[in-house]
Amino acid sequence: MNGVILAQTLVDGLILGGIFALSAAGFSLIFGVLGIINLAHGIFVLIGAYIGLAIGRETGIDPLAALPITVIVLYVGGYLLQRTLVAAAVRRGSLMSSLLITFGISLMLRDLILLAFGPNVQTLSSSWLLPTLHWGSVLIDGARATGLIASLVLLGLLSFLLYRTKLGRAMRATAQEDFAAGLCGIDVDNVYASTFGLSAAFAGASGIIIGLINPFVPSDDNYWTLNAFVVVVLGGVGSPMGALLGGLLLGAISTFSSQYVGSLYPNVFIFGTLFLMLILRPNGLLGSAYKGSV
Amino acid sequence: MMGAFNKRITGWEWLGAAAVLILLVLLPFVASSFQLRLAQQVLLFGGVALAWSLLGGFTQYWSFGHAAFFGLGAFTAGLLAQALGHGISGPVKLLLGLALAALINFAVAAVMAMPVLRLRGTYFAIAMLALAQVLGEVSKTFDIFQGSMGFVLQRIAVPGLNSVQTFYLLFLLFAVANVAIFVWVKRSRIGMGLTCVGQDEDTAAMLGIPTERYKLLAFVLSAVLTSIGGVLYAYSLAFITTDTVFRIDISLNLILFSMVGGLGTVAGPFIGAAIMIFITQVVLGGLLHLHFLVTGAILVFIVIAAPTGIIGLRNRLPGLARRATGSEART
Repeated sequence: MNGVILAQTLVDGLILGGIFALSAAGFSLIFGVLGIINLAHGIFVLIGAYIGLAIGRETGIDPLAALPITVIVLYVGGYLLQRTLVAAAVRRGSLMSSLLITFGISLMLRDLILLAFGPNVQTLSSSWLLPTLHWGSVLIDGARATGLIASLVLLGLLSFLLYRTKLGRAMRATAQEDFAAGLCGIDVDNVYASTFGLSAAFAGASGIIIGLINPFVPSDDNYWTLNAFVVVVLGGVGSPMGALLGGLLLGAISTFSSQYVGSLYPNVFIFGTLFLMLILRPNGLLGSAYKGSV
Repeated sequence: MMGAFNKRITGWEWLGAAAVLILLVLLPFVASSFQLRLAQQVLLFGGVALAWSLLGGFTQYWSFGHAAFFGLGAFTAGLLAQALGHGISGPVKLLLGLALAALINFAVAAVMAMPVLRLRGTYFAIAMLALAQVLGEVSKTFDIFQGSMGFVLQRIAVPGLNSVQTFYLLFLLFAVANVAIFVWVKRSRIGMGLTCVGQDEDTAAMLGIPTERYKLLAFVLSAVLTSIGGVLYAYSLAFITTDTVFRIDISLNLILFSMVGGLGTVAGPFIGAAIMIFITQVVLGGLLHLHFLVTGAILVFIVIAAPTGIIGLRNRLPGLARRATGSEART
């Protein structure tokens, strides 16, 4: 019996971890390329879920089918946001001002979501979910399995984009040394904005998947921002692999602590882990100390 | 900027400060209860923002989690008051609570400073945010701290004054003490050292400034003063839970108030607090659902248009005029 619980906890943790990884991939990208912490990340995740909800309500399109629309809307929104507000903040002064700007944006967007959708708990449902599987006595929830598969596909797509396309190469070059990248003819401002847009797009996609699994409310955004931060700090900055590793670890920490310690404790463990990691190894398990914690 | 460290405080400045103080002491006897409540908040949160500025105002160490100390202070006082029982009068409990909260926060901040102050920039900010979240979650999760159900604190009554007036005067005392400490730190070698840390920490250390010691001192002092604010706030509400004190928006308001008014200045946090509290509670009093929208918009606007705050804007005006003529090259 204990073996079954252990296996079930592990499976749940890994599935949850895959979804955490997707939700954090965009955050990691911005952190890696622009070097800023995007405190509006959680709200992008939520906006994705709410766009899925709105499209479903108005047209009856399945949330998973609405995913491409969400991705496009958030890409454009993120691109414009970076071009206007965030770039101005980064140019104005310290990186701290980008923290404040993105926090201000998150406050405004959260209020707009509240005005548009109200404070009630919402859920997404899709008819394309896999059936729930039984594997021995271990149960694999269909919605979560669908979410995991979608997450892995999207993470694969992001990897492809980063390592096999021209834009990806420009982004990696800008992350390494923005000045030199500019000298080589890369339009750095455009790369920054594209990165921001891409990050928002992936956050929105993860929002739809999260909405299929969990109910959500407008005030969830802090949770997703901090979650993304924990994932990045666990896995390391900038790479989809780092996000995947961090996500899986976070998923495991979350399910194991609620299974074996108590259902109220995951948050204590998650934030405790974040705190410890920041102190012991702020560049993440896969990160290098090259850029330093400055 | 450098002149500020050794310039004498002139007689006019003393006179102005005294006049402001007299007006503030007289205020509770003329203002309405609602106005006084607003003034209460300006004094308390302006004072706590000033405590935050002891570290964040001079250096790049911007704590995004000062609610950790605020909440820790409030919970210390609350749990102590409960443990003491009903036999002891309110004011004595308050004093004991203040002493214990200061002691506990001194210890916690001193222990935390070691690892946390090694981090820089955003990492420090997020580590503090995580610390505040951990403490909030712990207070909520473990039953002995009663964070989710909260506890009641005894009302403090002073003969001849109602409760709003009493706490107004307590907050005023708190604010004045913080101003005195801040001015002292700013004008001492510590303030100059911290300003150097803010400009270039490695160079400062190389030039022989004991950066670690100054940072530690500012961090611990800031934590203790913040916790005292937390205790007073808890007593003024008379009932607290985790969600009233371990609030992420308290941490961020401290930064916002300091930014709006002017980072690293004495009056800045109070001016910022006054403006923001006036806008969110008086102008938008009937539109509570727009509260965050406006706060966010002001935050974005301030960071982009006036990164040095209202006070900085006044000092910067000549420079702005010059830039408008286009004679200054972009750097």
